[in-house]
Amino acid sequence: MGLLKYTIFRFLQSIPVLLGISVIVFALANLGPGDPVRMMLHGQEYDQEMVEAIEARYGLDRPVHERYLTYMAGIFQGDLGESIHRNRTVLGLMGDRIAPTLLLVLSAYAFALATSIPLGILAAKRRNKPEDHVSRIIALIGVSTPSFWIGIMLILLFAVTLGWLPSSGLVYPWRTPADYRGIGSYPELYYETIRHLLLPMIALGTLQMATLMRVERTQMIDSLQKDYVKLARAYGISERTILRKHAFQVAQLPVITIVGLNLSTAIGGAVLTEYVFNINGMGRLFIESIDQNDYQVTMGITMLLATLFVIGVIITDIAYAYVDPRVTYGESE
Amino acid sequence: MAHDMPQLTRRHVLGSGAAISAAAIAGCFGGDDDDDSFIHITQSQERDEDFDPVIANDAYSAQVYQLVYDGLYEFGEGLELEPNVATDFPDVENDGTRYLFEIHEGIEFHNGDELTASDVAHSFTAPVEEDTENASSYNMIEDIEIIDDHQLQVDLFDPYGPFELQTMAVTIVNEDVRTDDPEDYNTNPVGSGPYTWGDWSANEFAEVELWDDYWDDDLELNIDTVRFEAHADEAGRISDIDAGNTDVAMDIPNADWEDLDANDDVTVTGAESPTYMYMAFNCNEGPTTNPEVRRAICHAFSMQDFIETHAEHVASPMYSPVPPVVNEVWGFPEDEYRDMLPEYDPDEAEALLDEHAPDDFEPTIIAPEGLRAQLAERIATRLDEIGYGADAQILSFDALVDTYVTGEYEDYAMYFLGWTGGPDPDYYLYPLFHESQEEVNQGHFYEGSDGFHDAIAEGRETADQDERYDIYEPVIREIVEELPALPAFTQDNTMAIGQYVDGLEAHPNVASNPNLASKHYDVSVE
Repeated sequence: MGLLKYTIFRFLQSIPVLLGISVIVFALANLGPGDPVRMMLHGQEYDQEMVEAIEARYGLDRPVHERYLTYMAGIFQGDLGESIHRNRTVLGLMGDRIAPTLLLVLSAYAFALATSIPLGILAAKRRNKPEDHVSRIIALIGVSTPSFWIGIMLILLFAVTLGWLPSSGLVYPWRTPADYRGIGSYPELYYETIRHLLLPMIALGTLQMATLMRVERTQMIDSLQKDYVKLARAYGISERTILRKHAFQVAQLPVITIVGLNLSTAIGGAVLTEYVFNINGMGRLFIESIDQNDYQVTMGITMLLATLFVIGVIITDIAYAYVDPRVTYGESE
Repeated sequence: MAHDMPQLTRRHVLGSGAAISAAAIAGCFGGDDDDDSFIHITQSQERDEDFDPVIANDAYSAQVYQLVYDGLYEFGEGLELEPNVATDFPDVENDGTRYLFEIHEGIEFHNGDELTASDVAHSFTAPVEEDTENASSYNMIEDIEIIDDHQLQVDLFDPYGPFELQTMAVTIVNEDVRTDDPEDYNTNPVGSGPYTWGDWSANEFAEVELWDDYWDDDLELNIDTVRFEAHADEAGRISDIDAGNTDVAMDIPNADWEDLDANDDVTVTGAESPTYMYMAFNCNEGPTTNPEVRRAICHAFSMQDFIETHAEHVASPMYSPVPPVVNEVWGFPEDEYRDMLPEYDPDEAEALLDEHAPDDFEPTIIAPEGLRAQLAERIATRLDEIGYGADAQILSFDALVDTYVTGEYEDYAMYFLGWTGGPDPDYYLYPLFHESQEEVNQGHFYEGSDGFHDAIAEGRETADQDERYDIYEPVIREIVEELPALPAFTQDNTMAIGQYVDGLEAHPNVASNPNLASKHYDVSVE
């Protein structure tokens, strides 16, 4: 099977997976306790007539299976419905909020890659030395500590105690300096973006960094023990070249897998990070929609996350098959 | 064809990272500006982003737009109304069904249109005509006649008690601009208030700018720009004020109060609000239908002690369904009600339960998260100490809203909820105790004595405030005596303010905060 055929096959395989996810998401959102209309009206005088009118407006008076079919028909037409609590379409709401989330997630990933690979290599090279022990402790802490808690600690240290960085909010680099009070030029705008981004980026990226570092270390140790590395050493090739050319490249295959699969974890982690750092992204929208029982928004975001996860898995599989010649495109041996 | 790209080496990448880090730590340029007349407000919940008062129904959007619009009447220091756009209090005719209003001449909207009686009339009628969520606040109005540009006559179907204390505090919208494009008006409002609409980004920030041509010269306005952002995370809000990222943080948790109070750079302040937190008993099914059982449960714990230990700075005790700040306007005998409520007396509680409750009595208490959940758990512990116990279930708010109206004993024997109203007792008595609101806003299903529900309805339909006092007083007394719902506490509106902000105090009405444009306060930034 060629690469193109394999890619198409994997995408077709994802369709029933996504349909299954849609059924589960819809059932969880609609059959759980709580009524969004009563939530909306709570705290004011109302009567049954008003409840029924609002239910009819949002189609909540129809049977669940009918609502599901309508919802799926909408999805295929690019319509994720209308928010019950906000007078907006779900797609519009998500569109407004996806850019800050992507900025956060991608920068967290950049931070994770930029720190985990050097640290992993260092730990492997200095195996069982103090540098290795320190990096393993960092990895252990990173893997076992929730990102929101790291965020709160970072705020306390760098914003409240030291006063070096802002405690919340984000300055968007795609805006103009005129949009922000006290920012007069583009360099200042980008500088403020970085200042605001540093803490949430570290908070969210620490888990990815720790995970990647552990894999990187293990793979590098494995690579450095291979016969061809021993042979290279015997030929007198410098340790730096051995690390860079002979050990490093081979060790990256499992790292690619982890990077792809962890993308959706990172987006999931952004939910709480955005809440703690008050970033107006999809994560915060997700929490608010759950609080308000805003079915349509909750389902829309969950479906997007699920789709991203499935796409991440597919891309990882394809990349893996592409990079490693030993991996076949599904032909029988 | 390939473009020549500069080669990015590892050295370059690491070098750039180090430079960025160094610049960030040094803080060598940028940062907050020092504009003295700017103030940054951190709200405690996200706004619905509805800035058209005809459709807006959340206090957090109102906190922003209250600076952009004028009210016909507005709250003073407390919950008493004062004329604003109206020249004086209205003339009342036809047994309280006709109100004649006169408004100031020469008031302009921010776009230059004159504010006329027609704008006032539209503000009264649009919620009902457009069937918005605010319709129930104005549906007592039968007809409005515009006498001339500055006078109007409002006729009600029947006398409506709360009209004088709240309904006539209508926020005045610009009829022409609004009806021209209602959708745009909702996010680009044109009012006549002391601030004009400024920059706005949905669920991010909203800014209002001082309007130099504001009509009321008596108002001291010293802040040029007010920026609102919301930060729902409590710890985040506290960090924001601690780190100097905001000038005012709203809704301060009790646990952080003393730390903030000890901070020389921050002032914490609060004002009692018209909120009523209560524990209602299931009077429909089960042992709590017996008032002696309800009384026993109230004897089993000390509300005063709970408030002092869990909410000393952010809540105050209350002794009737009418919040103390509302009672300041009405003067019901609160001290008498306090004496009538069961005191902490575990022996009496045990004796009453032994006599009136089944041996295996273990009531289910449902409560939302937070302070009320802690109180539910405290009650369960105290009941356990006297040999009964209770099952305190902490439910998400949506599940609670679904459950507390069933009236079934297996769902709940007691439930905790709260209500925020206005300066009129009707706002607490009608939705929470009148039989028409059973299964809607109340799930205690209290039948009451003969005439209990009729009196609540009569109080609503009476215009004379002295008569209303006489109608309501026995109703409140019965609630305190029979305890279909035990008054728990009233929450304070709290805020932490940078000490360089002078004159800002919390207002009882949550939507009136921050109180930056009031004759009673002179707020400035040093």
